Amino acid sequence: MTRGPLFHEQTARQRIAALVDPGSFDELLPPPERITSPYLAQLGIPVSFDDGVVIGHAKIGGRKVYLAAQVGQFVGGAVGEIHGAKLTGLFKAAARDRTPCIVIVESGGVRLHEGSAGEIAIAETMRAIFECRAKKVPTIAVICSDIGAYGGMGILSTCCDFRVMTEHGRLGISGPIVIEKWMGKKAYDSSNRALVWKTSGGKTKYLLGDADSLVLDDAGAIREAISKLLGKSSAVSLKAVKARQAELAKRLKRFGQTEDADAVWKGMGVRDIEAASLASGPEFAAMAKREK
Amino acid sequence: MKKLSSRALLSQLFGTSAKGIAVEKSLVTGYASVGATRVCVIGTCNGTYVDNAAALHLAAQVIDCIEHHPKMPIVMLVDSAGQEPNRVAEMLGLASYFGHLLNCLELARRNGHKLITVATGQAVGGAFICYGMFGDRIYALDSARVGLMPVEAMSAVTKIPVPVLRKLSKTMPSLEFGAHPFALLGGVEAVWTLDDGVAAKLEKAIATASTEDNRAELGKKRGGRKLALDIRKKVLTESAR
Amino acid sequence: MEKFTKAFPSKPLKARTAKPWALAGVVGSGNLEVLLERAGASGTMECHVETSIPGYKSSWLAALADFATHYPAGGTKVTIHDQGAPPVLVNLRLRQAYDHLTGGDK
Repeated sequence: MTRGPLFHEQTARQRIAALVDPGSFDELLPPPERITSPYLAQLGIPVSFDDGVVIGHAKIGGRKVYLAAQVGQFVGGAVGEIHGAKLTGLFKAAARDRTPCIVIVESGGVRLHEGSAGEIAIAETMRAIFECRAKKVPTIAVICSDIGAYGGMGILSTCCDFRVMTEHGRLGISGPIVIEKWMGKKAYDSSNRALVWKTSGGKTKYLLGDADSLVLDDAGAIREAISKLLGKSSAVSLKAVKARQAELAKRLKRFGQTEDADAVWKGMGVRDIEAASLASGPEFAAMAKREK
Repeated sequence: MKKLSSRALLSQLFGTSAKGIAVEKSLVTGYASVGATRVCVIGTCNGTYVDNAAALHLAAQVIDCIEHHPKMPIVMLVDSAGQEPNRVAEMLGLASYFGHLLNCLELARRNGHKLITVATGQAVGGAFICYGMFGDRIYALDSARVGLMPVEAMSAVTKIPVPVLRKLSKTMPSLEFGAHPFALLGGVEAVWTLDDGVAAKLEKAIATASTEDNRAELGKKRGGRKLALDIRKKVLTESAR
Repeated sequence: MEKFTKAFPSKPLKARTAKPWALAGVVGSGNLEVLLERAGASGTMECHVETSIPGYKSSWLAALADFATHYPAGGTKVTIHDQGAPPVLVNLRLRQAYDHLTGGDK
């Protein structure tokens, strides 16, 4: 297999083009419509034609999907009023058309420059995600960049049926810099990349069961992982939430007093920490005896 | 305004039935009555931070209600400064604990439980998103500190001077902090004063709630969030072609 | 923020292009986005620039005039959102947008 460019280094538009069937992407509210943020304009901050999220529909393996890709370079991929409304609309369209919806997340969460409007937009998008889920329409968050999924976008990602991650991807709420400010450098040194990724990176999230697949940093591998999930959905049932409650309680009981990420890895069945640290995503997934 | 103790607040909302509500580590769970309606109560108080254990504690109450009290309305009280900013909490997947709580609430909604939120104190950031903002209808006391963050905090992070933000917030309520500007955005249905009428208002809110998310419509009607609804509609129209 | 608009004479763009518009680049620190659309009179390239770094209007106009001279871009509208991109990147993005418009996505 020939390897394309690294997915985490690509732009949102390149990621979409690399994931979907060639030429199949049809953008909704494309750049010529010039729907840009009045908040940023008022604040004298450059605006962008897509307001930091590219949305549309395309085909993956011949199957129609709705797709969003956040632009991490643009105000950290953060969600403002327009950006959020595009996401809400996309998931609502997916629910209406019973078409799977994929969001390539690259966002620190709510766009502070737009205040509470972005926060409400994330809450509205969550409702739209559950509209999809009520109809068993698959919703998938792809988290494959260093910016990752944080703040409200981290929480939103956990509302989707599935999460596809690479080891570059990070999933959380409060970022390392915020926690370091709060707890001090001794508790969390945000410049310690190994620690940051062991805290929130794809490998740890996969090991704990919060990511459903851990794949190579490559569009082909991500497409394959998505394809496998397109026909599936994750149940919202009493049985499912009770099982999850028990699982999360067990996790907290086992590791709640653990400062050391390696202990979590060991506890979750990783025998050789060093080898696991060096392993690629799929190698890691094979090595880890993930508890079901 | 004098700050009420969490117990006094519960009494104001639920009268003598508030004795059925436990307050433990600033988490509120239990069963009570609003007028003649029995309700399940979950929530936070004292501006506490929500961590993994707190999310599980609230989720357990929701699950108990679904299992044992079919269709009983769930009242969600919010007084929390945010998610617990802690490395271990993050390592163990705080986002997933919140996602689980949201899943439980979604199951409740599908099973016919009405979800009514009252922001009673701080309703900020991740702690508002992880349950309160997921209600069918969301209300706030006028004394509640609702929103993304106060202007001073926004200024500290964005490096935009406070006077600039204050001036802009006159025309952009989204930048302002508080229950009233949040209502202009459609983020809350109505703002309540904590007086003797508040229990009756809650009772009426439960009776009239519907599961349709009306926040974007409200935001447009009230003029605080002019774009969201139209852009959503545009996506829906263009995608139907 | 500084905003300006200017039209430059340019030879007409070829009659058929892969699509009616093309976008290159992203808005981010030291970067810019260029939207190139088929629009306007066939003998001019109409440019709209918004930049976060004021004071470089003459350099912008020189770069755009240069592009209009070297490429047949008449009948196009160029809209730029800039966040402090260096001149060499401006040139590259213009060419990328032009290539996408005339040749399809790479």
